[in-house]
Amino acid sequence: MNNAHSLRTAIALIAVMTAWCRFDSAAADADSAKSMFSFNAFGTLGVVHSSEDNADFTSSTFKPNGAGFSHEWSADVDSRVGGQVTANITPRLSAVLQLIAEQNYANSYRPEVEWANIKYEFTPDVSVRVGRIELPLFLVSDSRKVGYANPWVRPPGEVYDVVPITNNDGIDISYRVHMGGLSSTLGAAYGRTYRLDFPAGSIADIQDLHGLFSRTEYGAALFNLSYVAAHISLRPVSALLEDFREFGPAGEAIADRYELEQKLATIVSAGASYDPGKWFATAEWTEFDGHSYLGVDTGWYVSGGYRIAKFTPYLTYSALTVASTSAAGLNAAALPAGEAGTAYALNVGLNELLATRPIQRTVSAGTRWDFAKSFDFKLQFDHTRLGHGSAGTLINVQPGYQSGGTVNLCSAAIDFVF
Amino acid sequence: MNRTGSILVGLALSLASGIAMADVVVVVSARSPITALSKNQLIDIFLGKVSRYPDGTEAMPVDQVEGSGPRDEFYAKTADKSAAQIKAYWSKIIFTGRGQPPPTVSNSVEMKKWIQKNPAAIGYIDRALVDDTVRVLY
Repeated sequence: MNNAHSLRTAIALIAVMTAWCRFDSAAADADSAKSMFSFNAFGTLGVVHSSEDNADFTSSTFKPNGAGFSHEWSADVDSRVGGQVTANITPRLSAVLQLIAEQNYANSYRPEVEWANIKYEFTPDVSVRVGRIELPLFLVSDSRKVGYANPWVRPPGEVYDVVPITNNDGIDISYRVHMGGLSSTLGAAYGRTYRLDFPAGSIADIQDLHGLFSRTEYGAALFNLSYVAAHISLRPVSALLEDFREFGPAGEAIADRYELEQKLATIVSAGASYDPGKWFATAEWTEFDGHSYLGVDTGWYVSGGYRIAKFTPYLTYSALTVASTSAAGLNAAALPAGEAGTAYALNVGLNELLATRPIQRTVSAGTRWDFAKSFDFKLQFDHTRLGHGSAGTLINVQPGYQSGGTVNLCSAAIDFVF
Repeated sequence: MNRTGSILVGLALSLASGIAMADVVVVVSARSPITALSKNQLIDIFLGKVSRYPDGTEAMPVDQVEGSGPRDEFYAKTADKSAAQIKAYWSKIIFTGRGQPPPTVSNSVEMKKWIQKNPAAIGYIDRALVDDTVRVLY
């Protein structure tokens, strides 16, 4: 009930902002003085059904439940509303504030600040931003929550779930160069994220984030390259890994190797898309190395679609793999009988922890239908094959879950922008 | 038979003239130094990817309101994109605070007035409205 209440509050908030926006845009035509503020809103109302009853499918690791085990049809996977105020204070100075209400770690729709930053343009091609800024890791990172801006119900999870964080508190600079018909934007970011809450009560802290980004456009072609390095800590620390420390230097080494405590994580990603109008093709690849039990995740996808009047059917193939999913652990045979049993149990526990990493491939087919101005309707089917012993990106895995099988999803969504 | 034929020809002619009437052309002020733009340069200006003409002077693109025929035809002809695709494109830009779409005017007559007043402006109007105060680029 509390949920429904917060969702209603959020929708009411956005409705008011939307009304403002319409009022504002009526006044902001070319003949009148340019208005200082602009208001925009976006949202998605979506439902998802999963064929797997013993686990939940959801769209982000920050969500506590989804479709399958918790709900036959879940509206929490894709539904959200967002509102934004942009203030053009002077021709060079602007500010943006964006709030998003979507199911969060605490199963509530309390609006959160997605972006809040001030931008200063030294020239039309050189700018600096300070505040909460988007982290433009992937091709559609900046609009991953704006369903209307994307061809799919949601960006392929095999890439976008690898790094679920969307913003960074700090500073970034951006420099745009033009060479003939080619336009390239180079960016550098520095910052941190103080607190990221996960459903099970764990909290992540990201420090010393450094990022380098490049985005190059040539006609209908777009290329994206990015690199991010940051120190990640997750609390509480794994009790299992702490237990390894009882076993002297060998145990300490294992705990240090796999614990997520002040670990340097690196993310590299590359993407390309081509959209001449009638059709589009896009592909992305990313690799995340957590230097911890998270292992090395590699995700990629290829997707394409063809526009037929108001319909855009599309097909996507995506895959996610993890490089290391087992460890030798302690040499139990060399330990005294009393300790060998504990060491053996810890080794089993460590390998179970490593095996929870997601391995899966998905074929998606769907269509977008631009049925009304500023609205679209999407229908998407996903067929996911899970790696042997892996539950993939599924959560709330129940005892009856059989690993290594397939999961079918059916998703329907309406997106809007104002 | 003959009569049916002439009706068909008449219908075809009126359809053809209907299309010709809806024909839009890309224009700048006759006082503008811009005499030619490539299609890519034109689209980059309207999509906010560049803010200047190739000669370095400031470009002020102006759009007609959403849902208007000339607007849809302009984007279909120059960028091969539908109204929904243009809307989706601007959604990406707007929701990161990276920019706002060009200001809008309500029709071709208003756009012509705006362009006559502003040598930096670029827009599109019905071909029928072209006179020596504007320069046709496309």
